Amino acid sequence: MTGNLSRRSFLKSTAAVGLGCAAELGGIARAPAAEIINFATWSAAVDTVKSHLAAFEAKTGIKVNYSNLPWAQYRETMITKFVGNAPIDTLWVSDSWLPEWADAGWLVPIDQYKTLTAYNADASDFCNQSMIYKGRQYGLTYYTDYMGFIYDNELLQKAGIASPPTTWAEVADQAKTVKSKGLSEWPVLISLAQETWLIEFLSAMVFSHGGRFVDDNGNAVMQDGGALSALRWLVDAVHKHKILSPSCVETGELAGLKTFSSGQHAFGLIPKYRLRTLNDPSQSQIAGRAMLALMPQGEGGSHATVGWMRFYGMTPRAQADTTRAENTVKLIEWFGGKADGEYRFQKLLFKDVGAAFGVKSLFNDPEMREAYKAYGDVDLIGKQQALARKKDVISPWFGEWNDVNGASWQQAVLGKVTPEQALKTSAAKWAELKKQS
Amino acid sequence: MTTSAGFARRPTPTTGLSYDERRAYLFLTPLAAVLMGIAVFPILYSFYVSLYSIKLTRPQRAPFVWLDNYVVVLSDPQFWGAVERTVIFSVIAVAAILVLALLVALLLNEEFPGRRVLSALLLIPWAIPYVANALMWKWIYDSNYGALNGILYQLDFIDTYMVWLGDADKTLALIANAFVWKEVPLAAILLLVGLKTIPADLYSAAKVDGANVVKRFLHVTLPALGPSFALVLIYETMMAIRHFDLFFILTEGGPGDASHVVAWRIYVETFRNLSFGTGAAMSYILALATLALSYVFIRALAQRVTT
Repeated sequence: MTGNLSRRSFLKSTAAVGLGCAAELGGIARAPAAEIINFATWSAAVDTVKSHLAAFEAKTGIKVNYSNLPWAQYRETMITKFVGNAPIDTLWVSDSWLPEWADAGWLVPIDQYKTLTAYNADASDFCNQSMIYKGRQYGLTYYTDYMGFIYDNELLQKAGIASPPTTWAEVADQAKTVKSKGLSEWPVLISLAQETWLIEFLSAMVFSHGGRFVDDNGNAVMQDGGALSALRWLVDAVHKHKILSPSCVETGELAGLKTFSSGQHAFGLIPKYRLRTLNDPSQSQIAGRAMLALMPQGEGGSHATVGWMRFYGMTPRAQADTTRAENTVKLIEWFGGKADGEYRFQKLLFKDVGAAFGVKSLFNDPEMREAYKAYGDVDLIGKQQALARKKDVISPWFGEWNDVNGASWQQAVLGKVTPEQALKTSAAKWAELKKQS
Repeated sequence: MTTSAGFARRPTPTTGLSYDERRAYLFLTPLAAVLMGIAVFPILYSFYVSLYSIKLTRPQRAPFVWLDNYVVVLSDPQFWGAVERTVIFSVIAVAAILVLALLVALLLNEEFPGRRVLSALLLIPWAIPYVANALMWKWIYDSNYGALNGILYQLDFIDTYMVWLGDADKTLALIANAFVWKEVPLAAILLLVGLKTIPADLYSAAKVDGANVVKRFLHVTLPALGPSFALVLIYETMMAIRHFDLFFILTEGGPGDASHVVAWRIYVETFRNLSFGTGAAMSYILALATLALSYVFIRALAQRVTT
């Protein structure tokens, strides 16, 4: 018998034994897993999440296994977990990762759950768009925000400027006035360090100049039009007008926030939710002076800005079991929709950490309006949010292209290549990656 | 005793190994097994991975591509750009380390008050973890609130704050400076050990022959330091070529591609793009290049010693 045991039959039998063991172990794991929902997030508002989870468990009796990871390692760690078939049912997802994760089969559409899609009517348009991939919806809003144009009102008044700029040309003019009066060495702040925020800063510039990186068919159009105008404005701001520091290429979002809050700049592209920090006396030297204006428009552009969102996604594991799927939907709705008849988690997030919301009706909520009033013009904030657009470069190859694109913009800003060359490089990389995919 | 020892050393007819040899192999087996598991297997496995088009975000498809990953990497102009920057960084850093470490070693080889305190202080940069070192230099170099700008401004060397890491022409040199600051102490200690082994008789004989300080340094100290120099040269070259931490923390490869060195590209390809196949291929190319360079250094040194 031993003599007849071929390599193939040995492999078959060991594989069968292995599969049998796996099935047994899977069976053991499934029993309790049908009751416990596995919920993964990055490490933000952890205490708020925990308290809201406790309320969910108390109300529904559904147990939730909650885990969180640092944002910096979240994508890579979650991908490793997906590949290793780690038990995850629902999780926070960035809009930047949706195509990659959906194509890999790690996320499943949720549009068959009407209790979840019912919230679409009350969500900002770019939020809904950001959760749709290949015509299917993959989640429900967790948090959303957009890139804001923020100015230091006191600096403008000192410079004799009556109202904030409405175009990028006016930004340059007013910044030169501020600089000429010795009020600021570098009146404009735009953080262009190579980090995850970079695409948001660039997209805000491009959209407000009436441009796009990619058209509706997914073809690169960044090499001319609004994108080129936006990059030219940045290059001129550094080299011609000297209103934007060359060090912008080493300034990240957080470092930029610190310098803006120390009163070094008159104008800045800053995530809108930072308004709260900028107007908080315990964290900012310009408290009470930071104000939002509509995104300036470039020639042929508009007041459009870029919006981003994070949402609750669902895994195939959750959907594979009817009870588990139902429980997961309940959990997603508890966080992303209404809990006990109100958007409780969005309110908690907003009040606790200032995280913005994609729910339109909350802009009319007296409680939220009152909270916003402390540091911003709620109507203007809502108006700008309505003009926010989703990033057009989100694709399965976004990460790889983003590295090249960021480096190309930086090189143009540093004067190493022309804006045309930089965007040509970026467009060529997009085309190459698209073709490869 | 003779009988038992003779019996123990006698090879067995079946294995051809003596009792002592078999016992030695037996004792070495656990260590060899551990090394196989934690060193040899990963090395071989990473080579195996480099022959596949493995991308973690595309888990359903991982075709065997022979040496295509190596071809892709070697035909990528960005990779060769990274090689060029790695060479520039390594040459600047290693040259500076050798010169500074030699000066420090010569100083510490002399007797003077405070020598022991200075020796202890010298070790501080070496004792600081690389990440902490990188964060410290990030603060020093910061263009808005960095200590370097602060000092230069207060001393009236500059009228306005300078852009340091954001200036692509300065980036590599500034990172090399941070690397040198960290590495000089170890190199100095290695050279100091070499200096201590030079017999005093050689200096006495040179003095008798009328050699002045410079001549004694050129004809006695430097030749005798050859092996120590070679050790420092090989070690620091390998460290510089493979260095990653400072690039990660100080610039993340930027601005533009000014600090895209090979180690950084391997990180991006493997851990950001999650392309394990090409990442492993790049790692192998870097490892082979480092080995080849070390071999050349060792051969060159051996030739100098024999001649």
